[in-house]
Amino acid sequence: MSEETDPAAGLLRDAAREVADIGVVIQEAARHATAALTDRAVLGSVSRAPSAGCRAGRTLVRALTGGQGLGHALVGGRLGTLAGKLGAMAGAESLAVRVMAVSLRLRIAAVTRTHPELADDPLLVRLIEAAAADRDLEAIRALRALLKDRGAVRTLSGLAPVFGEVLALRALLDENPLNDTAAWLIATGQGYASADPILGLSNRAVAVLDTGEGAARRIELTAAESARLSAEGTLLGFLRNIDAIGTTGRMLIQSVQGPDGTTRHVVHAPGMRTGRPDNDSPQDLLGAFSSAVLDSNPYSRALAKAVADYGLPHGAELALIGHSAGGAAIMNLAQDAEFCARYSVTHVVAVGSPVDFKKPADPHTWIASVTNQHDIIPTLDGQGAGGCFDLHPDWYTVDYRDSTHLFPLCHSIERYLANLADDLPEERAVIDGRLAPYHGPVVRAQAYRLYDRVPYPEGFPFLTVPTHPVDTPRGTVELPIRCQDGSALTAYFAVEPDAARRLLRGTGLGPAVQMRDRAVVVVRACWNRRTSLGGYRELHLGVVVPDPWRPGSLRVWPDLLRDADRRCSGDVLAGSVVDSAGVHDLTRTLWGGESYLAPMEFELTAGTAHIAVGGLRDRVLTLDGPLGLGFPARDRDLVTYTSRNGTTLRSCVRTEGRCRIHPMPRVRLDVGQNTHPFARRLRELGLDGERPALCVSVTSRRSLRDAAVPVQTT
Amino acid sequence: MSEAIAGHAEILRADARALAECAERLDAIEARLQESGVAPPWLRDAVRSHRAACVRAADDLTDAAADLDRYARGARRRPAPEPR
Repeated sequence: MSEETDPAAGLLRDAAREVADIGVVIQEAARHATAALTDRAVLGSVSRAPSAGCRAGRTLVRALTGGQGLGHALVGGRLGTLAGKLGAMAGAESLAVRVMAVSLRLRIAAVTRTHPELADDPLLVRLIEAAAADRDLEAIRALRALLKDRGAVRTLSGLAPVFGEVLALRALLDENPLNDTAAWLIATGQGYASADPILGLSNRAVAVLDTGEGAARRIELTAAESARLSAEGTLLGFLRNIDAIGTTGRMLIQSVQGPDGTTRHVVHAPGMRTGRPDNDSPQDLLGAFSSAVLDSNPYSRALAKAVADYGLPHGAELALIGHSAGGAAIMNLAQDAEFCARYSVTHVVAVGSPVDFKKPADPHTWIASVTNQHDIIPTLDGQGAGGCFDLHPDWYTVDYRDSTHLFPLCHSIERYLANLADDLPEERAVIDGRLAPYHGPVVRAQAYRLYDRVPYPEGFPFLTVPTHPVDTPRGTVELPIRCQDGSALTAYFAVEPDAARRLLRGTGLGPAVQMRDRAVVVVRACWNRRTSLGGYRELHLGVVVPDPWRPGSLRVWPDLLRDADRRCSGDVLAGSVVDSAGVHDLTRTLWGGESYLAPMEFELTAGTAHIAVGGLRDRVLTLDGPLGLGFPARDRDLVTYTSRNGTTLRSCVRTEGRCRIHPMPRVRLDVGQNTHPFARRLRELGLDGERPALCVSVTSRRSLRDAAVPVQTT
Repeated sequence: MSEAIAGHAEILRADARALAECAERLDAIEARLQESGVAPPWLRDAVRSHRAACVRAADDLTDAAADLDRYARGARRRPAPEPR
């Protein structure tokens, strides 16, 4: 299943290595000849012996540009490099490049011995042959035929064992001079492919976009996640832990009590987090890239911060286990001399990771690399199944193949786990044998969320406000109530002015703001998912009124758009519903008005809304349907007037978020056929079966809500 | 100056020898793979062509080294012309 089992493949690999060595010798000869031709000392003596000097120059030029010997072989130095690149653009090749292409083709032939599907597949053969023969158009046609016939996943999976070799072949032989260095490094195994072998885009140039000092914050795993964590230290247990954490921007440290009673520690680093290529996590696509290319990056620095926070004594023994980008990141940690001086990194196990050109700071660190030959990710450093150089004679390398050829499935931690559990018992036993000091019960575990840079405090700066305690019948409550994450739907209805007038009677507020001779009534539903009081849903019914002190003012519409601290107009609360008993008990004390406790449903997407109040049997209302076209805008604060014991109260909800204004909503308000006072009030306003004139939806917002303040309006 | 030129000549002569060895090594690799029956069908032509190129390159570098030697001797005999 793993390692070299076919002697013929071994012979081909040996031959490839020797041919690559010959290519290097030829390249060196070309470099020396170029140096002789461009040396100032040589050029400067022409005046002393013009005839012999010119003749020597001509001979050197012939040696370096004649097609039959070294080929177009100018290389090294500024002049030589420039001339070499110009030659490559013109399609002129050197003998060294042609010999190196032979080495790569021998590597492909070696892989084909153990992957016969490569030779059996006419489309793959066509692509490889075209790449080797420098037939660009044919190679593109072959790739297109492959993609059309197999799709991207199967094409990548099929090519994976020879991915690096095919790319290097193309890069060596094509007319793009920018990718030649990367191809040469892949072909000679001398170092990390410094650029992508297709366009020649510098890897380091991309990787430096991944900036940040790295940061880690302790987090609690969910009960379900914690239950999946291994209670015993074993290789499969550690990999299952990585599977349990998932690619979610987190990592885990466990302490295990070894067989000798010593407590040792295991750092678990998962692979790339899905989502945007560059997010606040160092486990994003850029982080994966820089982990592989750079010696230190935000991911490895964040891991070091987590280890520091975990609080380990100087010299504590550590095993680092990583998958995919996590494997490259832990290797970066292992090659950090400062980190290794503080802790004793005894073991590194990298699974499905491009780590071929990493080197641990401590030569005593035992390293294992496990890679599936159909997994492209470990080959991103240019060395894959076709590699013919023994880059790490002291590492334990498991480079295997299994029946699952599909990428990215074969890259998943689940697949590696299954392979190690079922198909690679001997290899697993070797790694577990070396990890024996870490076999034992887990005595401590802590998960961390990782960041590129120190994260802002949650809600900063909007929710970073002074708070004050307020005594209520339910105990002391901290105000303002801070909502980290919420969503809301506001529906504006046009109703009979008389109905609104009846509702406002006795409040001292009004008349209702009118739109085309109809009074404006608002139904506002919110789901405050994470607040300082816990999560709860609420729904308000209000009548929109102008400035209570200047009710005749013509500026009511502009005033309604002002922030809460400068707004005089608002909604007169005609009733509210909340689904949390704790919040319901506080409502009268903090904000006044009539409030009912009832179950609520709240579902809001960019295009539809579903809000329901009451249970299935005693439904008070549903507000349901498509929201229609929406225009983005800034979410607006809320100002609400209520009354308590004859006193008018004004309360504000300050909000931060982006909303969408829906001018033609198709949602409909249906009032339940029951005697609930809230349902009765909706019917009195004539809202049963009505569609709103305007809706405002906000799927994510933060909000601050303080207690209501008494105001004298008469 | 002339020592530098002679130095280049010496290096190129060594490279010419190495290239001649490369031609032999390519032959040996091909023979080994053919003997084992694992040589890919395209290998013979590729090796033949590259072997010939190595031999030619070795000759080219030998010539260049000889010319550089002559150049170095000439430069050593004649002093640099006086600046006007």
